[in-house]
Amino acid sequence: MTRKKIILSVNGVRNEIEVEAKETLLETLRNRLDLTGAKLGCDQQVCGSCTVLMNDLPVSSCSVLAMDADGCEILTVEGLGAGGALHPIQQAFIEHGAFQCAYCTPGLILAVKYLLSRFPRPTEPQLRHYLAGNICRCGCHVEILQAVRSLARRAQENQL
Amino acid sequence: MQDNVGQSIKRLESESKVSGELKYLSDLKLPGMLHCKALRSPYAHARIVRIDSQRAAKFSGVEGVLTRDDMVDNPHFDSHYGPVLKDQTVVALDKVRYVGDLVAAVAATRLDIAEEALDLIEVEYEELGAVFSFEEALAENAPLLHEQVSKPEHGFVDLADVNPVEGTNICTTFHLSKGDLEKGFQNSDFVFENVFTCPSAQHAALETLCAVARLERNGGLTIWSTVQNPFVIRDQIAELFHLPVSKVRVIALNIGGGYGSKLYPKLEPLVAALAWKTRKPVGLTLTREEVFQTITKHAAEIHLKTGVTREGRLLARQCRIYLDTGAYAEIGPRVAKKSGYTAAGPYNIPNIQIDSCLVYTNKVPAGAFRGFGVSQSAWAHESEMDLIARALQMDPLELRQKNLLEEGGEFATGEHVHSFGLRQCVERVASALQWGEKCPPPPQKHLARGKGMACLIKATITPSISSALVRLNEDGSATVYVGTADVGQGSDTIMAQIVSQELAIPVTHVQVVHSDTDLCLYDLTTSSSRSTFHMGRAVQLAAQDIRRQLACLAGRLWNCPVEEVLFANQGVRCVVNDVVHAASYRNLLSASFGIKGANLVGKGTVKTEAVQRNGEPLTSAFWFAGAGAAEVEVDRETGSVRVVRYASAADVGKAINPFFCEQQLKGGAITGIGLALMEQLVYQDGLLINPNFLDYNLARFLDIPEEIIPILVERAHEEGPYGAKGVGETALIPVAPAIANAIEDAVGVRVTDLPITPEKVLRALQEKEQKAQLLEGPTPGRS
Amino acid sequence: MGLNRFEYIEASSIPEASRFLADRPEEARIYAGGTSLLLLMKQRIARPAYLVNIKKIPGLRYIDKNDGTVRIGALTTHHDLEFSPLIRRWLPVISELEPEVANIRVRSTGTIGGNLGFAEPLTDLPPVLIAMDARIKVADESLERLLPLEHLFRGYYETSLRPQELITEIQVDLPAPFFGIKYLRFSMGSDKPLVGCAVGIRIDPESKLCVDARCVLGCVGPTPLRVREAEEALKGLPYRVNSSAKAARIAATACSPLTDLRATEEYKRAIVEVLMRRAVEEAFRRASSKLQG
Ligand SMILES: Cc1cc2nc3c(=O)[nH]c(=O)nc-3n(C[C@H](O)[C@H](O)[C@H](O)COP(=O)(O)OP(=O)(O)OC[C@H]3O[C@@H](n4cnc5c(N)ncnc54)[C@H](O)[C@@H]3O)c2cc1C
Ligand code: FES
Ligand code: FES
Repeated sequence: MTRKKIILSVNGVRNEIEVEAKETLLETLRNRLDLTGAKLGCDQQVCGSCTVLMNDLPVSSCSVLAMDADGCEILTVEGLGAGGALHPIQQAFIEHGAFQCAYCTPGLILAVKYLLSRFPRPTEPQLRHYLAGNICRCGCHVEILQAVRSLARRAQENQL
Repeated sequence: MQDNVGQSIKRLESESKVSGELKYLSDLKLPGMLHCKALRSPYAHARIVRIDSQRAAKFSGVEGVLTRDDMVDNPHFDSHYGPVLKDQTVVALDKVRYVGDLVAAVAATRLDIAEEALDLIEVEYEELGAVFSFEEALAENAPLLHEQVSKPEHGFVDLADVNPVEGTNICTTFHLSKGDLEKGFQNSDFVFENVFTCPSAQHAALETLCAVARLERNGGLTIWSTVQNPFVIRDQIAELFHLPVSKVRVIALNIGGGYGSKLYPKLEPLVAALAWKTRKPVGLTLTREEVFQTITKHAAEIHLKTGVTREGRLLARQCRIYLDTGAYAEIGPRVAKKSGYTAAGPYNIPNIQIDSCLVYTNKVPAGAFRGFGVSQSAWAHESEMDLIARALQMDPLELRQKNLLEEGGEFATGEHVHSFGLRQCVERVASALQWGEKCPPPPQKHLARGKGMACLIKATITPSISSALVRLNEDGSATVYVGTADVGQGSDTIMAQIVSQELAIPVTHVQVVHSDTDLCLYDLTTSSSRSTFHMGRAVQLAAQDIRRQLACLAGRLWNCPVEEVLFANQGVRCVVNDVVHAASYRNLLSASFGIKGANLVGKGTVKTEAVQRNGEPLTSAFWFAGAGAAEVEVDRETGSVRVVRYASAADVGKAINPFFCEQQLKGGAITGIGLALMEQLVYQDGLLINPNFLDYNLARFLDIPEEIIPILVERAHEEGPYGAKGVGETALIPVAPAIANAIEDAVGVRVTDLPITPEKVLRALQEKEQKAQLLEGPTPGRS
Repeated sequence: MGLNRFEYIEASSIPEASRFLADRPEEARIYAGGTSLLLLMKQRIARPAYLVNIKKIPGLRYIDKNDGTVRIGALTTHHDLEFSPLIRRWLPVISELEPEVANIRVRSTGTIGGNLGFAEPLTDLPPVLIAMDARIKVADESLERLLPLEHLFRGYYETSLRPQELITEIQVDLPAPFFGIKYLRFSMGSDKPLVGCAVGIRIDPESKLCVDARCVLGCVGPTPLRVREAEEALKGLPYRVNSSAKAARIAATACSPLTDLRATEEYKRAIVEVLMRRAVEEAFRRASSKLQG
């Protein structure tokens, strides 16, 4: 079976890793790089608990081949925030209590990051459509939406 | 102090949860751990004629294969286990009982090797007749799933009377009656009879099930598991492996959602047996599909017959409940009991008869599910309430108000309910949705809006026991040890708040050690919404134990009466002869013991009894009351239903952390909407055909209401910590009937089988139209 | 479940990919975004021995417009379509539908070539594209051919492509003046649609009568279904509740949905009828709003 050295920049750190053809990006992150923030939930691109940003776009890392990610920039939840401080999205999640078990949280935080980068002031339908692919079985949707709205408000205030 | 009880403080572990650092079991690897993969039955019911695992065992990288050959006459462990009935086996012995039943398992150095080795296990089956429905299972001469079943040595006290009916597929029955049913019906002006059904569903916790076992040098076993009741696992494993409980250690880390799926043995016996066989740590993480093949919610069929007077007084109610427990009893007998108790609803009905029947079928086992059987029975009685109200042309709220069980009222079990704020719950959800005011008509013609409500009563496991330890550390901080598993509900934070309140120290100075059977004292389970009441109280008592000890130390040091010692600001204070003495805990400890390094340990135990002080039986240490109200929008042309607003109320006794309570109410409502409108396991000839998230849909951001209104009612319970009861399950239960009732309000049709799919609504609308046309008489031109 | 073992090949040109596929027709599969293929492999429905990644082939990811035709490279992702100003300007019906397709992660990686080439019945793009008379460009090692998109689909997961052929481009002519198009999709709790319905209407600006119509259904048969009889029922008439209801009934009868775990055949037909009625009304409205605009 094909093995290949790939170059994966994860959270700003360049990694040269040998991977197998059938290895998914999620497996590489979790098993080879010990980044366990992204989780396996459904293995079908439905739940979003494995969400990472690949060249700034959200992907289901459970269903991207590691070899296919060769040369890409990957951002995982571990790479948010700077110098030990939490990223504003993470802070907003705490502020609004936007999780219970938090198994969905790393994926959702990255989905929110993408959403706000694309739509700094999202409409209600945009909020729902762009987060719809991330499932939270504990049912923290209300708090998550509040957290995102507060970030959007803050972004707007800062602009004024 | 802002950390006190009653404050909405943030979860203690918040930062590690948003940073992704918090470890769940599958995030960890033990050195040298083998990976396990299970071979599962492709047949719903079959005899295993032959099983040959030699080729698999020789496959490079495979370290051990477990088959029935390891089970027979093995002096080291038994083959059978089960929390109530020992009808489960570590792997199949003589036969398999559902598609997905465990047949064998491989432990290998790599997961993909284990997976490939499965293909090398040869199994020859002889198919047997199978039963999938209540009808088939209960038919005379139906093929039997279990010929004979034994019970565990130390079963649950509340389930001591559970007995399978020999020669049938009836796993257990439950009966309850009060008054004179026949007379009740005779005195009624109207009698209603309806049948309601709910499908099997899945918990769908995002974290799948996972377990790791390691054999220790002393012959003991250490097990890490995604489990909400580690002590039950410990006891079951100890019995299975003939070990004293002191040699079995069960540890649960943070859990990625449970909702009932992570209770009772699931993977632990298998990994433990493989660890025993290979002498190496063995880990197993289930795939999503395997989780669907491991545990489900009980499907139910509920027959209700209700007698009412013209004025709307309920006089008699008969409930017959059939619950499908799948191939193994699991905790089904308790589900049958709990849904049985509450089947007549939270009403003051003088004549009641309840019979529930738990049935084995050749399907995936069913177990605990958020609501524990009550969501099934509430679906029936709350739908029926509205059918009655409609027939009597009475407001459904008014019908409920006329019959509600009030504080001190007599419940179906004959006992009197206390601390029971049901009326407030019902009335407050009604006013939150402006009950009585018509919904504004939606802009498009094909849309219609309506409102509906539902309420509930639920028991908690009784009798039960929980104990807690609190350690006051030498620096004045505290560590609390609780068996409770934090599945995300925030129990760690609640416990810390209680310690903080009692010892007057900041929450950040409280460390919580949880769900480790070696470190913590016994706790029955984290389920049944019981943890705040039981463990919370135990923690409170343990902290108070420390206070007593501190008061003694201070009394001795300052020569003052212990009753006069006050606790504030991380220390003690006392005024003796107008002289104020004060010391921080740290200083008090070192002054009293004369050395650095002294600790205090406090212990608290809560045990609930099956009998009250007045001699009345006590089936539940406390009763939950809750209500929900929904405003829905129905598309008359497609049958689609959208929940626009939802109000959810629960009597929590006392909200120790109001935000957490409200979060349970909102979360329960959202899960409830999914269960009401779309969730359902679908079988085809015994094969579960939607065991994944593509085909089994959960509520998403697109499906949640525009507004969810959580309402906390606080009717203090004298035995709960600060009056607190619990809240975990109440919110989910009324959602489905509230929605069904709102749909009928909107478009005048009734759906009696869950889930309420657009197709069912549309069909009901079409049937209604056809009926209306028939009533109008023959259309001209046709004769 | 983990993926089966396979060899992974990165093609650097269309001929190279085509040659590889030609040599191993049974064993090799094209890997574009991988969203559909990996799903199939995880379910063990497909066990290809070779995956040919075509994403490294240069020049297959673009959205252009010239000579009245919008050209979309096969490697263009759903996400590209969703946010392309060119699409928003010239084919807004696609920008309008994209946010509802799958979820944002599938859209980030899934390609239009994969969406069409996979020929899954439960998709959204084919009915819309067929309603706009889209063509696809197909290439193998040496030849290129152009065919109406409608001719691509043969059956469930079955296309008219030969094993060595790749879709390289999708072409859509700019809509004629006074053409309105509406796509409606119905889904229940799932990322995937249950029924999709695209209706295109061109009207005569003077008489407001429909001069041409396209009615295309998705998800209710082995392939996207163009219902010509329904189109005929609309032609020559202005918008009328009756005629749109008639076209909708024709569509509901013409399609061949299957009962599955989400819904019965009858229900899907009922939904086809509702969607078609609503889409016809909106398409007419759009066609005539271009009159004023
Ligand atoms: C969870 C989920 C939800 C979805 N929901 C929707 C939805 O709502 N609406 C919708 O329209 N779609 C939906 N899809 C399908 C989605 O649009 C497709 O997965 C995607 O567009 C396929 O693109 P891909 O590049 O990932 O294909 P791949 O997975 O890479 O390829 C799949 C197959 O397509 C063929 N193929 C790929 N590229 C070419 C080419 N250039 N020429 C010829 N053949 C080719 C090959 O046979 C290949 O094996 C969903 C998919 C998933 C996983
Ligand atoms: S695990 Fe990848 S989307 Fe669910
Ligand atoms: S917080 Fe548990 S799944 Fe979202």
